Amino acid sequence: MSQSAIDVARNAARFLLPEFLLLATAIAIMTAAAFTKQSRKLWCSIAALALVLALVSVWAQGNVHTDAYSSVVLNDDLSQSARIVLILTGLVILGFAHQEPSDERAGEFFGALLTINAGAMIVASANEIVLLFVGLELVSIPTYLILYLSRRHAASREAAVKYFFLSLFASSLLLYGLGFLYATTGIGNLKAIGFLLDKLPGVPQPQLGLLAIVFILAGLSFRLAAVPLHFYAPDVYQGSPIVIAALLSWVPKAVGILAMARVLTGVFATKEATDPLLQKAVIICWVIAATTMVLGNCVALLQTNLKRLLAYSSIAHAGYLMVGITAAFAIDNRAGDLYSGTESALYYLVAYAAMTLGVFGLLSAIVADGKGIETIDDLAGLGWSKPWVGLGLAICLLSLAGIPPLAGFWAKFEVFSAIIAATRRDGSGMFLLLAVVGMLSAAAGAYYYLRLVVIMYLVDAPPKTDYTLRGGWPVLGSAAACVIMTVVLGLFSNPAVQAAKLAAQAALSRPAPPVAAALSEPADRRILRVAGD
Amino acid sequence: MATLLVITILIPLIAGLGTAFAPALSRDQARKIALGTVVVTLGLSLILLVGFRPEVHGPQFAFQSLDGHYGLSWIEKPNIRLAFGLDGLSLWLFVLTSILMITAVCASWESIGERAPQYYGFLLALQTGLLGLFASLDVVLFYIFFEFTLIPLFFLIGLWGGPKRKKAAVTFFLYTLAGSLLTLLGVIALVAVHYQYSKGHILTFSIPELTSGLKVIEWDAWYDTGSWTSPQVLIFMLLLAGFAIKVPMFPFHTWLPLAHVEAPTAGSIVLAGVLLKVGTYGLMRFNLGMTPRGAEAMFPLIAVMAVAGVIYGALAALAQTDVKRLVAYSSVSHMGFIVLGIFAFNATGLDGAVIQQINHGLTTGALFACVGMVYERYHTRELAQMGGLWNRFPLLAFFFMMAAMGSAAVPGLCGFTGEFPILVGTFGVAPRTAVLAATGMILGAAYLLWMLCKLLFGPLKEPGGHDAHPGETGHGGHTSIPGIAWYEIAGLSPLLVLIVLIGVYPPPFLDQSKQGVAKLVTELPPQAGVTVPSTHDLARAPGGPKPLIATAAATTPMAAASPGDRP
Repeated sequence: MSQSAIDVARNAARFLLPEFLLLATAIAIMTAAAFTKQSRKLWCSIAALALVLALVSVWAQGNVHTDAYSSVVLNDDLSQSARIVLILTGLVILGFAHQEPSDERAGEFFGALLTINAGAMIVASANEIVLLFVGLELVSIPTYLILYLSRRHAASREAAVKYFFLSLFASSLLLYGLGFLYATTGIGNLKAIGFLLDKLPGVPQPQLGLLAIVFILAGLSFRLAAVPLHFYAPDVYQGSPIVIAALLSWVPKAVGILAMARVLTGVFATKEATDPLLQKAVIICWVIAATTMVLGNCVALLQTNLKRLLAYSSIAHAGYLMVGITAAFAIDNRAGDLYSGTESALYYLVAYAAMTLGVFGLLSAIVADGKGIETIDDLAGLGWSKPWVGLGLAICLLSLAGIPPLAGFWAKFEVFSAIIAATRRDGSGMFLLLAVVGMLSAAAGAYYYLRLVVIMYLVDAPPKTDYTLRGGWPVLGSAAACVIMTVVLGLFSNPAVQAAKLAAQAALSRPAPPVAAALSEPADRRILRVAGD
Repeated sequence: MATLLVITILIPLIAGLGTAFAPALSRDQARKIALGTVVVTLGLSLILLVGFRPEVHGPQFAFQSLDGHYGLSWIEKPNIRLAFGLDGLSLWLFVLTSILMITAVCASWESIGERAPQYYGFLLALQTGLLGLFASLDVVLFYIFFEFTLIPLFFLIGLWGGPKRKKAAVTFFLYTLAGSLLTLLGVIALVAVHYQYSKGHILTFSIPELTSGLKVIEWDAWYDTGSWTSPQVLIFMLLLAGFAIKVPMFPFHTWLPLAHVEAPTAGSIVLAGVLLKVGTYGLMRFNLGMTPRGAEAMFPLIAVMAVAGVIYGALAALAQTDVKRLVAYSSVSHMGFIVLGIFAFNATGLDGAVIQQINHGLTTGALFACVGMVYERYHTRELAQMGGLWNRFPLLAFFFMMAAMGSAAVPGLCGFTGEFPILVGTFGVAPRTAVLAATGMILGAAYLLWMLCKLLFGPLKEPGGHDAHPGETGHGGHTSIPGIAWYEIAGLSPLLVLIVLIGVYPPPFLDQSKQGVAKLVTELPPQAGVTVPSTHDLARAPGGPKPLIATAAATTPMAAASPGDRP
């Protein structure tokens, strides 16, 4: 079914209703805050209400599909699931941040948070190059604002400026890459580009395709904090309040992976694995994944500042996500029932959200001797003076280390299953090597998580630090939700796993085109190919 | 019965969580709850043991759905299942865990003062981890329990251990984790290979299905073990990484002495008694069961590592002055024997290995318990500071001696019924290896007798006090040292009974595991690998070591299963 231009616009408006809702609320809050003086409580409640309404409207959209080759916005499984997860984590971050800004800056702060959320949701559902880029910028620009709003001292200003320039740089790299992608076919619809690349011989022109992949990967690597564009993360995390660090460790990563699923693997990864362009992409991703995992895990071992440690930990996790993307480039449409690369990366994101937000949230709630937590030694004996907080923190840390039966274990299991499943097609041992490198660096990485657990629990003398909690029920409630999700995703991961599988299939699907008599080869290639022989 | 198995596995965890989180539980209440739980669990395990039918092939007590899969679906796609069941290889380890847990709780009765509810909580959680591990019929489930056991043991060592407990706990955790992550890769690779090359592309995580399926997959490269990089050898090595550390095989044993010495007594008992068996159990289930040709090709390497472990462990034990370290190194030595038996590729050796796992669990568990009791009384483990303890604690000394004798493989006690078949089985395959390993037996007798001699016999010598002559036991500062208490007797006597029983009449014990062993052996590939010496065929030749079986264990009708027995 082909759509007229009016249909396209109407559908886009309908599918983007939750995003419009958030953006309208954000604009209203920010405008109103300039003229009236209200407490941050009010702005925070309005923002929370908007998120809840957005959640309801995502649900209400239901299972409506439109023609993928003419729509700007898709309402497939990927966009549905991703938007639900993004709104829920948005609520969690709002809970952490409800006391963060001062009253006079609260309007801008919560408005920016809503805009970031809306931008991330747009990325999840975009099917047009331009819309995708708009979504990414809707995440970036308010982030500069948020970083600068909390200007407390020189370090946080430095962090804001550093992030601003690097982010601009990364965005321009990305835009450059998107330009090349557009140039490969001359159309902007991502599903259509993917379809044409699949069907037309000689498209894309190899150099052009490679330039597109390289620049898009580079631009999105910044969002993921993957090597070589990772180096801002420790400084920026350290310079910002812990709540902002939580935001930075989650939202840009989610956006980066979703954008990769939409614009890279979703477009390119349905070609044959022997395609030279795809093989080059696999090698680039391989290198990024391996160096990111090794660097993140090894440098984190040396950190004593908690925020820097978590920054390197988030770099390491970017490496595991890139393993999933590598696998996605290598096999995706042919993974059969075993985990596919995109699927594993998406599941990893969900698990990562629960455990990393749990850690940041609990850390933001702890006050040691009247000060916030700065270094790892500030946690000494926490496990015994605040047993529940300590338990929650320990669960999230062990999950980050990948200890079963927690969410982080399944995430690693899926990612490494996907890469090993890629081995069987390739046969060169390259992917197995990546898996071994990943596992060994994960084992090294377990040390720094474990060290925190040791500091919290294995104390010789009763702790001298006087711990109190701040933030009230919103912070503790959100953190508890994260911890519970970390456990639940470990013990009953089936719903999330199946949702990730459907979302990944949606990202890769190529529905039969409405007018494609000339290209009549069956488009659906999601059959397991018997390989190797 | 299937429900009973699941209940048996879950009871300790539920009780453990309850104990750890219950507000204001006193030490006395906590330990009573713990003892009650382990006794109930043992009772249920014994019901399972009685209900086990040795003649049945395949796992028992398992739920089986209509489409033939074991257990309940956990993750729909890919089909990962919550499947539990016991077979000949796991049954005795399952029961052993339940028995040793009683010893562990009894050994902690007085020695654990601080944070007792949490202590027993971790101990019981550890029990669930181990029971679940041995009963798992799904590779992912197995792996989850495999790694889950690290958490409680980490806290048991780290919170209630000796002076260097932090280092010991962290070393133990990371060392084991590093290996087991590689094992996870191997496991995933097995599943992926089976999915790719089996007839009909079956994606399964079930241990029984993978074990039989991987023997018949249609991929020639799988059966070729010519080089280090051939798939089966590579996967064998990945699997080996985790299990070799867990066993521990030389040279991956370095975490063990530290962990043992620093762990609280109960931790040592469980660590030596059961957790090391996880390694050998994994070797049997995965390395031998799923990559038999890789095992054949790598036999020279395994044999060297095992024999080096046997001799090195024994020599290191001889050089120790700390009793606990001595027992720890003896574990390295004895576990080398078990590995040798597993990779002898014949029923005799494997039978010996299966029974020796139990024996080692019983004797080493008892030895650690005895060492812990001595330490509680004198707060030292130095051999030089003690002597003649028989005069003061005859009953404890008797337990100590029986455990040591059993460990030294004195005929009539349990160690002999395990180590002898192992040596016989190995001799048929690699005579020189067997001869070298036999020296380990001699050295084993040497260090254990030497330890007994110093510690138990001769004139009474007590640390802190003066040397005393027999009869003068009441002097010095030691009048207040208590004799052996009821809970110590309760913890040790079941072990002692089994040590004697297995030594005198092993057939009932071997019968239960017969089918599992026979299954592994008959499913070995029909011809020897490339790098294995031709003596290998001896093991399967009619005139080979089979007649020796009768010598090994009296009337054991083992390895008699022929393919015709199968349903």
